[in-house]
Amino acid sequence: MLETRTWKGRTILQVVATLLVLPYLFPLIVMVKGSLAGQGWHNFQAVLKVPGLGRFFVNSIVIAAGVIVLVYIVTMMAAYGFAKLHIAFREVYFWLLLACLTLPEVVLLAPLFTTALHLKLYNTYWAVILPLAALQVPFAVLLTRNFLNGLPNELFEAARVDGANSFRGFVYLVIPLTRPIAAAVFIFTLIGAWNDYLMPLVFLQTTHMQTITLVPQFFVGEFSNDQTKILASAVITAIPEVVAYLCLQGLFERGLSAGAIK
Amino acid sequence: MEQRRPAQRAGAAADDHPDGRRRQRMPPGLPWILPALVLSVGLIYYCIAYTGYISTLNWDGISSHPKSVGDNNYVRIFHDPVFWKAIRHTVEFFVVTFIIQTFLGMLFAVLFHARLKLAVVYKVIVFVPVVLAPAIMAPVFRHMFAPDGELNQVLRDVGLASLARPWIGQTSTALPVIMAITIWEWTGVTFVLYYAAMTQIDQSVLEAARVDGAGNVRTLVSIIWPGVRGTTVALAILSAIGAMKTFDVPYLVTIGGPNYATEFLGTYIYRMTIPLDHVGYGAALSVILLVAALLLAIAFQLVGRERKGRG
Repeated sequence: MLETRTWKGRTILQVVATLLVLPYLFPLIVMVKGSLAGQGWHNFQAVLKVPGLGRFFVNSIVIAAGVIVLVYIVTMMAAYGFAKLHIAFREVYFWLLLACLTLPEVVLLAPLFTTALHLKLYNTYWAVILPLAALQVPFAVLLTRNFLNGLPNELFEAARVDGANSFRGFVYLVIPLTRPIAAAVFIFTLIGAWNDYLMPLVFLQTTHMQTITLVPQFFVGEFSNDQTKILASAVITAIPEVVAYLCLQGLFERGLSAGAIK
Repeated sequence: MEQRRPAQRAGAAADDHPDGRRRQRMPPGLPWILPALVLSVGLIYYCIAYTGYISTLNWDGISSHPKSVGDNNYVRIFHDPVFWKAIRHTVEFFVVTFIIQTFLGMLFAVLFHARLKLAVVYKVIVFVPVVLAPAIMAPVFRHMFAPDGELNQVLRDVGLASLARPWIGQTSTALPVIMAITIWEWTGVTFVLYYAAMTQIDQSVLEAARVDGAGNVRTLVSIIWPGVRGTTVALAILSAIGAMKTFDVPYLVTIGGPNYATEFLGTYIYRMTIPLDHVGYGAALSVILLVAALLLAIAFQLVGRERKGRG
């Protein structure tokens, strides 16, 4: 894009880039430095010794996995139906779904709360998995339908001529062919579910059920506002996310930017 | 080749035109979309209808005989100064975060196209905040922006002690702090999107501009910026939706304060519904937010259609 033929020009660009990147690094440095202040590594030992810390991770994994599986199955089926099968008033259904795209989750709070109490779902995984999945599905369907629209109809017709019913078409054509877009759906659903704060805050009452996004608050109670321990717990909960990103960099960047264009 | 093309097109048109016949050969798809409709449309529309009903009540969320108050909640919202504050914060938040994010995202994308050293490391640093949960970073930011926090320390170290202040403790700087945190979180996405969009720009156009004597700034303004217009529009929509959904950062870093200086619709609805038990009032606020979100969705569709028309 930019032309930097001279040594001087390149140096200036490098310096500008470095100065711009530093503010992004700063909070991360504050986090790590703060977690090592005072008692140093003992902060981490103290945090790791707290019983039930692993439980937060297990809960986050269960909820994220539940949301991903639900969103994946429902989305693939719906995208197949919308893109390649016959549906009367298809666009009406599609618009009903699309209208949910911009919905802030906070507006679901009161009705979900009372309904969850009635159905005895309060403080269960389902109370978080179902609304999170419901909010992710519209965009996932939009993305996957567009992807499937790009595949030739002849492919599906040929399969039908050869005697494949729509179920076989789904299993042998849709599932394998949608892998690239499924990866994007996987990533933004994972991030959305893993990082969500409001739903677990409202619907998971006991620490036994809570997710990692509620860990900082738990430690504020546990260590009566000892900042270093709270920051150590923040580092510990952030590590899996950073490692996952570093291992799957390209996938994360593609998936999140696909998820971002709503 | 050229001669066969019209014939092919006519064939395709004939295939498409008797739409009914072609579609009838397709097996029924309704059962396939049903699970998605039940889960998303069912759950969300049920909640919306329920919210609409609750918004006409004076209800604490527990009592079994809530009083119906008609449109009283809406009338009260109209005269509620905190509501108007929240609206103003949302708009300001959108404008500022969108402009700065766009600018920084563009700048990073352009810089990274100029073959920097350590580019991978820089990219990781800018993108990591996107992955980290705001809820997990919140204690870090409270720590960082505290009166004796790292930011003030750095300012004193570089001789700018006069700039040091209780960032999240005073009304004038609390909202800018929330904006800064959001920009920190989202620049990675704008950067990656712009970076990808710039690789789509025709290299020969860039070279032609160079040959015609266009400098770096001129190329940026006249070729790159218009070339990524689609991305900019998409990011504007994304930022607007994000502004309306804002909850985690203001709730966790400043609890909407001090003196409602960082109250957003999301935090206000939460405050009314859960800690204050004004469930009816919170529901009425939700309906207003919902209408705003829907109007935005419609605007989004219209813009999208215009974009397709141009392309």
